[in-house]
Amino acid sequence: MSTTHPPADAGAPGALPGSRTSITTVPALALHAVTRVFGTHTALDSVDLEVAPGEVHCILGENGAGKSTLCNIVFGALPPTSGEVCLAGEPFAPSSPSDALAHGVAMVHQHFSLVPTLTVEENLLLGRGRARLRPDRRGLVVRLAEIEETLGLHVDPRARVGTLSVGARQRVEIVKALLDRPRLLLLDEPTGVLGPDEIDGLLATCRRVAAAGTAVVLITHKLAEVMRVGDRATVLRAGRVVGTGPLAREHGGGRSVPAPSGPTGSEPSWRDEELLEAGDLVGLMVGRDVSSLDPLLAASVGVTRTRAAGAAPAHVARRTAVPDDTTPPVLAVHGLVVETPDGARRVDGVDLEVRPGEIVGIAGVEGNGQSELVAALSGALRPAAGTVRLDGQDVTRARPARRTALGLGVVPEDRHHEAVVAGLSVTTNLLLARLHRFRRFGLLDRRAMRAAAAELARRFDVRAASLDAPVSALSGGNQQKAVLARELSLEPLRCVVAAQPTRGLDLGAVDDVVAHLRATADAGVGVLVVSSELSELLVLCDHVHVAYRGALSAPVPTDAPDARERVAHLMTGAAA
Amino acid sequence: MMLTLTDLLVASIALAVPVLVAASGELVGERAGVLTMSVEGMMLTGAFAAVVGATSSGSALVGVACGALAGLLVGVLQAVLSVTLRADQIVTGIAANALALAGTTFGARLLLERGTEVPGFARVAVPVLSEIPVIGPVLFRQTGLAYALIATVVVLGVLTSRRTGWGLAVDAAGEDAASADRSGIAVLRVRFGAVLVVGLLSGLAGTQLALSEVHTFTDNMTAGVGYLAVVAVIAGSWRPVGVAVAALVFGLAQALQFTLPALGVDVPFALLVMLPYVLALLAVAGLVSHSRPPSGLTKPFVRLGRAT
Amino acid sequence: MTAPLSSPTAATTGPGPSARPGSRSAPPRPPGPAARPARGATGDRLRSLAPVLVPLAAVLGALAISTVLAVLAGATPAEAAAALWEGMVGTPYAIGSSVNVAAVLLLVATGFLVAHRAGLVNVGGEGQICLGAVGATAVGTMLPASVPAVLTLPLVLLVAALCGAAWGSIAAGLAVRRGVSEVITTLLLNFVGAAVLVLAVHEEALLRQPVTSSETLPQSAPLVEAAHLPLLGVPDSPATVAVVLALAAAAVASLVLRRTATGIRLAAVGQSRPAALRLGVPVDRLRFSALTTAGAGAGLAGGVLVASAPHVLDDGLSSGYGFSGLVVGLLARGSFTAAVGIATALGFLVSGGINLQLAAGVPASITQITESLIIIGVAGTAIWSVRRSRTRRRAAPRTALGSTATARTEVSS
Repeated sequence: MSTTHPPADAGAPGALPGSRTSITTVPALALHAVTRVFGTHTALDSVDLEVAPGEVHCILGENGAGKSTLCNIVFGALPPTSGEVCLAGEPFAPSSPSDALAHGVAMVHQHFSLVPTLTVEENLLLGRGRARLRPDRRGLVVRLAEIEETLGLHVDPRARVGTLSVGARQRVEIVKALLDRPRLLLLDEPTGVLGPDEIDGLLATCRRVAAAGTAVVLITHKLAEVMRVGDRATVLRAGRVVGTGPLAREHGGGRSVPAPSGPTGSEPSWRDEELLEAGDLVGLMVGRDVSSLDPLLAASVGVTRTRAAGAAPAHVARRTAVPDDTTPPVLAVHGLVVETPDGARRVDGVDLEVRPGEIVGIAGVEGNGQSELVAALSGALRPAAGTVRLDGQDVTRARPARRTALGLGVVPEDRHHEAVVAGLSVTTNLLLARLHRFRRFGLLDRRAMRAAAAELARRFDVRAASLDAPVSALSGGNQQKAVLARELSLEPLRCVVAAQPTRGLDLGAVDDVVAHLRATADAGVGVLVVSSELSELLVLCDHVHVAYRGALSAPVPTDAPDARERVAHLMTGAAA
Repeated sequence: MMLTLTDLLVASIALAVPVLVAASGELVGERAGVLTMSVEGMMLTGAFAAVVGATSSGSALVGVACGALAGLLVGVLQAVLSVTLRADQIVTGIAANALALAGTTFGARLLLERGTEVPGFARVAVPVLSEIPVIGPVLFRQTGLAYALIATVVVLGVLTSRRTGWGLAVDAAGEDAASADRSGIAVLRVRFGAVLVVGLLSGLAGTQLALSEVHTFTDNMTAGVGYLAVVAVIAGSWRPVGVAVAALVFGLAQALQFTLPALGVDVPFALLVMLPYVLALLAVAGLVSHSRPPSGLTKPFVRLGRAT
Repeated sequence: MTAPLSSPTAATTGPGPSARPGSRSAPPRPPGPAARPARGATGDRLRSLAPVLVPLAAVLGALAISTVLAVLAGATPAEAAAALWEGMVGTPYAIGSSVNVAAVLLLVATGFLVAHRAGLVNVGGEGQICLGAVGATAVGTMLPASVPAVLTLPLVLLVAALCGAAWGSIAAGLAVRRGVSEVITTLLLNFVGAAVLVLAVHEEALLRQPVTSSETLPQSAPLVEAAHLPLLGVPDSPATVAVVLALAAAAVASLVLRRTATGIRLAAVGQSRPAALRLGVPVDRLRFSALTTAGAGAGLAGGVLVASAPHVLDDGLSSGYGFSGLVVGLLARGSFTAAVGIATALGFLVSGGINLQLAAGVPASITQITESLIIIGVAGTAIWSVRRSRTRRRAAPRTALGSTATARTEVSS
């Protein structure tokens, strides 16, 4: 599977005069020319990487750059096609996560590795080597107390994981990873589901864990986090390492571990490298000069620049068609309540109005009722109380088909399961909601369908090898454009609800999606965007509500100078 | 009247034991995420092998060993299909049942002669306890094999409870295989083992039916009891006590087939044959919406190369 | 690029050997293509043929095992083959019976495929056949003489289809309304349906022929003459028009599934219920109709069975046709053309198997062994034979024979 390891390297003498965070010269983790191929696609292309013990090493890259693949290879979930991984100088080819755990590699997963129906204690007892007949419950209690003392991480062992908030779950996930005192801790996009306060806590934990000598690999696409917590960064683009080096210290960043003071003669090992600045990283990630970057793109990787910042390209400039308050709303939601079958309120009395030509955002940490709100708006869930009016008509209990007929377009959150039927052709997917228009003598007029689909694909720039191919053969961006093509070409179209419309897309596709939503709003359609990417909402929307525990805050205008701070504050559950 | 009620209860416990044993195995399999529809086939194969083993060796215990082994073998087949080859669990399970039915029918023509004495198990009355009115004969006048099997079921229940690491591993593998795998649990091994447990217990259930109750092998002698075991797991909401109760109810319904005509009650036989299945239908129709199967049930596990 | 960074090459070579004497010397980057697994043209061709070759191998394997079993049963391979051949195509009578069996299997399989398109697995063919046969017998034996002869047979078959549909609709209703797995319910309904048939032919109050002596068999009176399926008219052949009926049903179903809006919507429902719901497809109605249609197909098959010689209903009426029809449906993988071919092959195999028992003393259950081995072989090898999408993103592994049907209930709408 992998190339043989040159044994001479393993016991390399500690001749190096001092690395930054550790005296040892043997990196905790080293990747040599690691390549991973999926079919015809090369996810990782000859990647080299070294992570020292006690260092927080950030791996940055866009979606699809290969970050998760890299993580999965080190964690044993995926064998590399070629190349070699070394752990503390020893060749390391884990055959399974269990194997990796046995070698002291732990991972904090993006979507957690917790079984929701079990309690916290039971989840922690599940770990490798603990799942024997009589689990060591007493030992676990001792270790938990230890972790709480050293890292300040508290978990309630008796709580059922499924009932915990996302932040609490992640704490459990981290505690679980740290139980066996790993040598190497991998964190895969750990902040995606967290609110601002929780992110602060997580980053502080990263520093503390590293300070105790563990090598920490933080995978993220958010630049701000990298600059706050990282010692070194490696940037991946399209599966290749496009840059690596120590990070410039962020001024005023309160690190708990002394950061390097910069390239000096006393640190010969770094003399060839210069410190990476935030702007360098963005340029590397997207492969373009940062100054030419659309503020929106910059926002999506974490460079803060609201529209008020000025130098925005023309198409981002403030739209003129923003309606005043007297225009009747196209979408009006009043007192909406959505409950789960067991009676838990997921949406709790939401009021919301979207006027024609307006782009309204709903920000918030995921799991605060946004998905249920969108489901109620699209007709997938029945609300328990409240009304939904579309263009003045009550559609609270209407079937999805009726809403579509009245001009409601929906871009669902879960693209693979809700937005497209993966196995059906692109043509079918584009036209599924209006098949009745292509009926001829009871059968479908396939020629007319192809023509209509081709026209839609052209208008929305859906790139497919063949429109007869299954939609699953398209890239994520093209799938999303196909969904947009279907939903935005409705006639009539009065309102669009887009849930996480840019999730998982690369920057080019993000740009297209955003341009289409803007153009739609400019044409006088009301647009509601639900997203967990605050920066994106701030650039795109006229005003933003914040979802917290099923309720919505009052709208915050995005052109207010302190919009970001206010919204971020609201996301923690504080009153505005 | 008292006596006949007792007779009914004795018969229903006797007929509930195979359902109970098979269902408690199936429960472990389903908790681990594998829907084993081939319980019926495992029972039938177990019954057949037990009768062949017992008649050819002259020892009922050899019969038990053969029955258990045969069930285990079908379990291996099902585990390879469901777990290793990730084949459709429902389709392969039903096909395995058809194979078992045809195979045992075929084998019975070749290996079994009609009218041969089959060594089996006789009812053993536990001293003192069996003298208690009603309950005594019902619970304490079963065969030795039945006692042993009930003990096995209890031990299995304890070993796979949430208090043990094994039980946790089983639940984790069935509820969220990806998380279990990332936690270091060998999901495929857990599931494979769970299907083997289903095979072993179903084989023993078939053995009990053949050697303790019917004392011979007839074509298709299980006649759907295996499916009742699968339904008992659903009707019992994937909880051991619930499953046991459901198994008892189905056993009672089956027992009516034999006791009511004996009591002289004139009900068409076909209606009595129908009864357990109608009850099972009502159970799944009425209960399913209140209980939730393991999330990973019927979903094969493969470690996806790419994180989604 | 403005940033003063280590370039990709610098990143590969690391900090430099001089700076870090302890670190390994940078290995040369392997040439790109070499890193990828070489895949020859032959390998590619084999891979593209896998969907055909692998199931074929499974079928051959099943036949091989069955041959061994036949030999174990005491027949020489030559004897067995001769008996099988004789039973399949040896006489016009044999051919005719085989075609009749194939027609019944095709009817069941057609219904199965309609339901399967909507993601439902109808395992209840057996019970639906029984109910269809009971309904057909009731009409065919009790029809008043005033009904014109021309209408009798259509009426008998219509009632058979309706009874099967009604039986299927029980499972369909439970699946749609209560989220109960149709696999479980149709399975249980098989046992209930079989018992209904037994009840009907054992009770004089129901369909049993008048009991005149202790030798009166538990079966119905024969159907009236006008309710008999006409023969195709081939000399010495029992082949009826059932085969025409079955082919027509398959053709119509195929056209509806492939060329109408309903067919496309069924496929959408089968592949993704949430997406179909989102797109305004009446998911519940389609699922209900699909499973009910499956019941109608099997019920019609039951009607055909009693309307063929000997034109009576007895409790051995459907000996495994439900399962064999399921086998045809599963192996056809959504294709009606394939279903016709497989139903024909299995029809001949079943007839051949009967003769195998008569002429060579091999138990007839050997055909069922072969069928189930084929299913196990084909389903078990699905991970190699199912064409995977060429994209990077591989959907959750689905087997070709598979459905997403589970015992799972829908938690919310």
